[in-house]
Amino acid sequence: MSTHQKYRYENDCKPDENRKKGASRWSHCRKRGADGNLRKSHEVEEPGKCSQSSHRPESFTTPESEGPVSRVKNWGDEVEAEEMRSNVRRDMHRYRRRILEADFPQRDRKISSGSSDSRDSRDSKESPAKGDLETDETTLIRRQKQINYGKNTLAYDRYIKDVPKHMRQPGVHPKTPNKFKKYSRRSWDQQIKLWRVKLHAWDPPAEEGSDLQQIEEIDLGEIMDFELDVECSADTGSQCPTSSGASLSLAEDSFTGTPKKMMKIEDTEML
Amino acid sequence: METSSKEEYTIQSFDLETQKLLKTALKDPGSVDLEKVSNVIVDQSLKDQIFSREAGRICYTIVQAEAKQTNGNVFRRNLLNRLQQEFKAREETRKRSTQEWVCLVSFICNIFDYLKVNNMPMMALVHPVYDCLFRLAQSDALKNEEEVDCLVLQLHRIGDQLEKMNLQLMDELFNLLRDGFLLQEDLSSMGHLLLLEILEFRAGGWTLSETAQKYYYSEVTD
Repeated sequence: MSTHQKYRYENDCKPDENRKKGASRWSHCRKRGADGNLRKSHEVEEPGKCSQSSHRPESFTTPESEGPVSRVKNWGDEVEAEEMRSNVRRDMHRYRRRILEADFPQRDRKISSGSSDSRDSRDSKESPAKGDLETDETTLIRRQKQINYGKNTLAYDRYIKDVPKHMRQPGVHPKTPNKFKKYSRRSWDQQIKLWRVKLHAWDPPAEEGSDLQQIEEIDLGEIMDFELDVECSADTGSQCPTSSGASLSLAEDSFTGTPKKMMKIEDTEML
Repeated sequence: METSSKEEYTIQSFDLETQKLLKTALKDPGSVDLEKVSNVIVDQSLKDQIFSREAGRICYTIVQAEAKQTNGNVFRRNLLNRLQQEFKAREETRKRSTQEWVCLVSFICNIFDYLKVNNMPMMALVHPVYDCLFRLAQSDALKNEEEVDCLVLQLHRIGDQLEKMNLQLMDELFNLLRDGFLLQEDLSSMGHLLLLEILEFRAGGWTLSETAQKYYYSEVTD
């Protein structure tokens, strides 16, 4: 940058010439008036930007308060909350698009009216009309947090590696509750609970139980009939949450690691 | 993931052991103490002016690597909280060392530039960044070329993004800059030049017109 040749003003600058006299928006903030004279320092000081005195505010841009602010968040938390909000919004856009796309093949569906498609965006009985989405951000974020707790488990990791999406069977394989559908708080919380219980089937094997599991792998034929009954009642629990309480706890207690193998055997039996 | 040559270049300023730590963090974040890594980076960025302007890239890479590998954001959280501490202590830092203060501002702005959340700038940093810039626009700062230089550098890099996030604050900031340019008596000639250029830069929609570019940046033959 060639300053010396280009920059002309230096000391012969006469800043007062041609400047309009009188008050302007900032005049009360300025140290000197338009005529160049020092102002008296009795003007009201605006917090922050215009202050020329020794009192320097904490922040120029955020609202001032008397003492320590009660809900001071740290930046780590704030950014995580931001991220959660924007993820939820993005999910919402994607979901809306998916529903719209699903609306179009209506004509084709009539031909094969008997088929049941597990993807709920196609099934008009299950997919919400555009106006029936859950849109309240607080609710969506709360639900997403609950889903994240479940997905953040070893069991979930093992499950998704074990059973690819196209192989999943409704009722047999746990399905993540759809946060965009309208549900009551109780209903949603119960769905989450049931989902997580089902996921426990994919818990990594505990060391003490490993011998037991090996035996069960061999003798599954005999055990299966009995445990199949119990498992079925746990499945129907997801359809009618209110009645599943008792039977569900029974299922939970009676086996901790075998259901996965149970289910696998079921699959092969069914094929 | 291979360390790109740009990242290689920026970590040259560290001692060998730290270089190794950073390289591992870039490739295998789950295996290192990410809190330590974030402290190492912040410490260096307060000392090394060049690093403070480029460290955002490394941080971004580590954040991405961690998210991909472990789905966590330990590094980002630690980095931001440490940055927040430094930000809170900025006035003391400025009193102690102008160099450290401008490094801090450069680093915060660099982080704002690189660490996006779903491709959006982090809202949590908008006010803190503006706070730093407003501080640099105060008369006691404008008389130091070092601080004016820092201020215009940040505005060149992230001014347009900041303006999108909060137009009103940018307007207020530029009012201060205009005032400083016109009224401040102890502004150096370089300070005047820098301010005039940034005023034109913003007026041109965060870019310089061709003639202005020639005026400020071309070589002049005698």
